[in-house]
Amino acid sequence: MSDGQRFNRVLIANRGEIALRIQRACRKLGLETVAVYSEPDAESRHVREADIALCIGPAAAARSYLDMDALLLAARATGASAIHPGYGFLSENADFADAVEDAGLTFIGPTGASIRMMGDKITAKRAMRDAGVPCVPGSDGPLPSSMEEIRGLASEVGFPVIVKASGGGGGRGMRVVHAPAELSDAVLLTAKEAQQAFGNPTLYLERFMQKPRHIEIQILCDTHGTALWLGARDCSLQRRHQKVMEEAPAPGIPASAIADIGARCAEACRRIGYRGAGTFEFLYEDGIFAFIEMNTRVQVEHPITEVTTGIDIVAEQLKVAQGEALSFKQDDIRQQGHAIECRLNAEDPFSFMPSPGTVSRWDLPGGPGIRVDTHVVSGYMVQPYYDSLIGKLIAHGTSREDAIARLRVALAELRVEGISTNVRLHQDLLADPGIQAGGVDIHYLERWLANRSAS
Amino acid sequence: MTAPPDLIPEFDTIPDVDDIGQIATWLVDAGLDSLELSNEGLRLRISVSCTAASEPAPSHAPSFVETANEAVDVRAPYFGVLSLAKPLEETACAPLGASVHKDGVVAFLVSGALLIPVLAPTSGAVVDVVGQAGELIGYGATIMRLRPDAG
Repeated sequence: MSDGQRFNRVLIANRGEIALRIQRACRKLGLETVAVYSEPDAESRHVREADIALCIGPAAAARSYLDMDALLLAARATGASAIHPGYGFLSENADFADAVEDAGLTFIGPTGASIRMMGDKITAKRAMRDAGVPCVPGSDGPLPSSMEEIRGLASEVGFPVIVKASGGGGGRGMRVVHAPAELSDAVLLTAKEAQQAFGNPTLYLERFMQKPRHIEIQILCDTHGTALWLGARDCSLQRRHQKVMEEAPAPGIPASAIADIGARCAEACRRIGYRGAGTFEFLYEDGIFAFIEMNTRVQVEHPITEVTTGIDIVAEQLKVAQGEALSFKQDDIRQQGHAIECRLNAEDPFSFMPSPGTVSRWDLPGGPGIRVDTHVVSGYMVQPYYDSLIGKLIAHGTSREDAIARLRVALAELRVEGISTNVRLHQDLLADPGIQAGGVDIHYLERWLANRSAS
Repeated sequence: MTAPPDLIPEFDTIPDVDDIGQIATWLVDAGLDSLELSNEGLRLRISVSCTAASEPAPSHAPSFVETANEAVDVRAPYFGVLSLAKPLEETACAPLGASVHKDGVVAFLVSGALLIPVLAPTSGAVVDVVGQAGELIGYGATIMRLRPDAG
């Protein structure tokens, strides 16, 4: 994105609900849209409603939504002067962002340099630490050779700690230490294993967060030096690292703590010259926030921030990419009420097997505080080639209880036939006392599912 | 990574014979029968197989024997602006009624600096030309229909 470069036609390099969401934001701002699509997506709603639609390849994402050359050629062929990458696919590909700008087009997102910095966990962590964003407390480098020094370091970090091999990964080369007496043996054994497995005995140490929550901060930055935080989301309900249900604000965390971490995130963005929308993800336990990573794109769960702040994040992305200054200040941003989002997937609610096929009935819920972001219409064919997300059901209420009540009614109203969906899972989760109480950790859903299987 | 290279390098000199030989090898390896580059007075065409007109008709086409009377679609192998004639020529490669051979070039797609040949999927006669010259068409779009030769 060249700062201040105006554009009037946007190529949407994505599919599904987010493609339609981007198209709506473009229309609101009077921008024309180009839908590029793979062969099986020809009947998608955003394709039918686009100003220009162009099939760029077959079902395989590598030859369509992930094909950088094809996307750039399509932009040139259709006269689009900006590309919105959505989420997934090429949205966090720094080379693509660079290639778009090198082609003289506007990339609706941060610079390739920002994406690259945040894509590397070490450089991202270093940048965040330098900017005052808290990371997992730890050794900040290789462990010293003296066991006494290691003990001192571990005590400072606080038990339990996890000793990790620098060259490790995939869950190998790490050991959790619960008490000082276990530390010496754990260090020696892990170093030996690390030498054998990775050829490098170097270790580091971090505080082991046992039951953390996943808390994230939405930020929005323009190219005039303004960086704002738009509140927090709690995305702790996850299965196999995939978020299932999200809410805003994060229950039980003091607003002052969120304001403090939000301000640090915004400051980090100012320091690195970030532009557009982004999300800082944290683990949160015992009042401690620990930075995990930054997502340099719009998130699937952005609507819960939109409905609680009244800010159209996707439209703001487009305006920032046009070079406009954000029209509001930090003090203007108010959190109103509570919102919860259910990700609707075409999958079996028990086995989680994908359920592609034709949606023969698709009756959506409504009423106060209900929003459904979906590309599905009755008769739509859920494709087997892509992820199974068919929509997002968002309930907004004056309180968390109000939002849950509205969500329950909405889930009961939703009628889907022809495919299986995870609606039943959401209904069961909302009936769970732990989830009703709020503040569950990131392992809660996996334990809940294990108990369900056992009973 | 620094800035990525351009999609297509600048074409401002004719490659030497060895390079042309190498390019021809790559075309064969990629299953392509021709490459054409042009730029402000420079034009290079490398053809590595016989075209539809000069190639004898295959003695049989098993996959089309059973549907010999049904028209076969010629579909776009990529997206681009349709050209029914060779670049810088006006005569259509495969006008209505023409006989074409399997894998013969029947049209071209222009996508940026790329010139992509559209090949006939079977030998036969052109019975319908659906695509309009100069039109931007998508991957998989039907360009023309062929009535396959009887096997």
